[in-house]
Amino acid sequence: MKAIKYSCSILLIGLASSLTSAEVSVIVSSNNPNASIDQNTVSKIFLGKTKSFPDGTQAVPVDQDDGAAPRNAFNSTVLGKSSSQLKSYWSRLIFTGKGTPPKQSGNDAAVKQLVANNPNIIGYIDSSAVDSSVKVVHKF
Amino acid sequence: MRMRNKWGLSLLAVAIASPAMASDLNVNGFLSVGASMLDDNKASIAGADNNGGFKQDTVLGLQIQKQVNDSTSATGQLVSRGGDDYTTEAAWAFVSYAANDELDLRMGRLRIPFFYYSDFLEVGYAFNWVRPPEEVYRIPFSSIDGFDLTQRFSSGNMDGSVQFYYGRYQGPFKTATATYTADYRNFTGLALNTNMGNFGARLSYHQAELIMDTSEAGTTLNSAIAAAGAIAAVPAGVDVGTATGNPALAGLTGVGDASAAEDFSFTGQTSRFYEAAVFYDNGDMSVIAEWTMLDHENSVFLDDQAWMLSAAKRMGDMTVHATYSTQKDEFDSGNEGEIQKQLPLLTEESSITLGLRYDYDSATALKLEIQNNDETTAAGVDGDSATLYSVAVDVVF
Repeated sequence: MKAIKYSCSILLIGLASSLTSAEVSVIVSSNNPNASIDQNTVSKIFLGKTKSFPDGTQAVPVDQDDGAAPRNAFNSTVLGKSSSQLKSYWSRLIFTGKGTPPKQSGNDAAVKQLVANNPNIIGYIDSSAVDSSVKVVHKF
Repeated sequence: MRMRNKWGLSLLAVAIASPAMASDLNVNGFLSVGASMLDDNKASIAGADNNGGFKQDTVLGLQIQKQVNDSTSATGQLVSRGGDDYTTEAAWAFVSYAANDELDLRMGRLRIPFFYYSDFLEVGYAFNWVRPPEEVYRIPFSSIDGFDLTQRFSSGNMDGSVQFYYGRYQGPFKTATATYTADYRNFTGLALNTNMGNFGARLSYHQAELIMDTSEAGTTLNSAIAAAGAIAAVPAGVDVGTATGNPALAGLTGVGDASAAEDFSFTGQTSRFYEAAVFYDNGDMSVIAEWTMLDHENSVFLDDQAWMLSAAKRMGDMTVHATYSTQKDEFDSGNEGEIQKQLPLLTEESSITLGLRYDYDSATALKLEIQNNDETTAAGVDGDSATLYSVAVDVVF
C-alpha cells in the first residue's frame, strides 16, 4: 500500500514536472533560410493570419495531436488560448471558408520528420527531441 | 427545389468518391439541438410558446471545402433549420480565388456581412448564446448570390480586413405572421474589421433596392398598404371609415395627400443598414457592444435602431454571460409619418438574457439561458413581457 502511494506520488511529481518545465521548440527544416522567428509571427502563422515566413516563402503550420503536452504548452504560451477558445476561433473561420486549422500530425517524432522533409512546414516539438534534421527558430 | 437536391446529391457524391484525396478535402459540420419554454404567450420570443419547443433552435450544417489548386478553392455549406421544418438550404456555395496572400475574390452564394456574428450566425458553438439577440439580429434573410472582395491587412499587432460585396437576394421574407417573396436588387455593402491585441472594432454599411410581392389579401403588409392608401386619399381630418363607407377603417383620420400613398409600396426604394461594433476579449473576460440602424425609403417598414451590450466571464470550462438588447422603431416625418402612426406598425422592445455555457470538451458545449423580453409596444399596441427558458447542446466536427 505504502509502495503504491509512493510510486503514485513519484508519478504525480513526474507528471507535474513534465507539464511545467518541459521546454518546447518551434522548428523548421534545416533547409529553411529563416534563422529565428518571433512569437508574434509564429502565432500569426498558426492562427492562419499570415501564410508566409518572414522571408516571404510559404509557411504551412502543423499541430501535434489533441492532448499532446507540447500542443497544450504551445496553445497556452504562444497562442494564449485554451483548446475550447481555439476550437471556437477556428469554427468561426472554417464555416466561412476563411481558413482551416493546422493539420494534426502526430507526436514529436512524426512532426519532426514532416518538418525535416519540407522547408515550408513549421511545427513544434519537445526540445529533448530536437536533432540536426531540423532548425529551432523559437523556444519557450 | 430540384436544383437544390441535385446540388446536395453531387456534394454527397464528391464526399463519397474522394477518400483518396482526403488530404485536401475538408468536411466539417455543426449541430445545435435546443429546447425552449416560454412562461406564457403574452410576448413573442424566438418563435417559442408555453408548450415547449424543440425545433426552433435546432440547426444542422454540413460543409465541404476542396482546394482545387494553389489559389482556388470551392466551399459548400448546407444548412437545415428546425425553424423552417428542416428545409435544406445552401447558406454558402462559392468558389474562392486568392489573388495574393492578402486579397480574396469569392463568387457564388455568400453570407451578407450585416453583423459581427453574421459569418457564423448559425454555428452555435462559436458564440455563448443559444441564439444571437433577436432585437438586433432582426433581418429575416442572411445570404445573397453575388461576389465579394476581401482585402486583409496587418501591421505590428494590428490586423484586419475590408470586404466589399455586390449581389442580389431573391427569396422568402419571413415576418411573424406571413412569408412574402422579396427581390433585393443592387445589393451592395462594405464591412471593415480590425483587431489589435484584445481589442477589435467593426463597421459596416449595406444598401439594396427592394421589390416585394404583397398582393396576397389578408396579410399584414397587404392590409397596411391598403389602409395607408385609404388614409392618404381622404381629406385631412375626415374619418376614413365614414368617407369610404368601410367600417373597418373607422377611427383612422385622412391626411389628404395622395402622393404619400406611393411611399407605401415596394417598388424598388432603397433600404440602408448601418452597423458598428466594438469588442474586447482577454481570454477570461469578453465584452461586445453592437449598434445597428435600418433606414427605409419606403414607408411600410418603419426605420429603427437596435443595439446590444453583452459581457461574458470564463472560468475554466464554464462561461457566464449577460446581455441587454433593445430595438425601437421610428416614424417618418411628414404625412407618411402621420399615416404610419395610424397603422399597427410600431414595435419597441428590449431583452435581458442571462446564460451559462459549459464546454464539455473541445468540440461540445452545453448552454442554459433565461431571457426576459419586454415588449413596450408590439404592432402599434401596448405590449407585454415574457420569460423564455432555453437549453442547447452545440457540437462542431
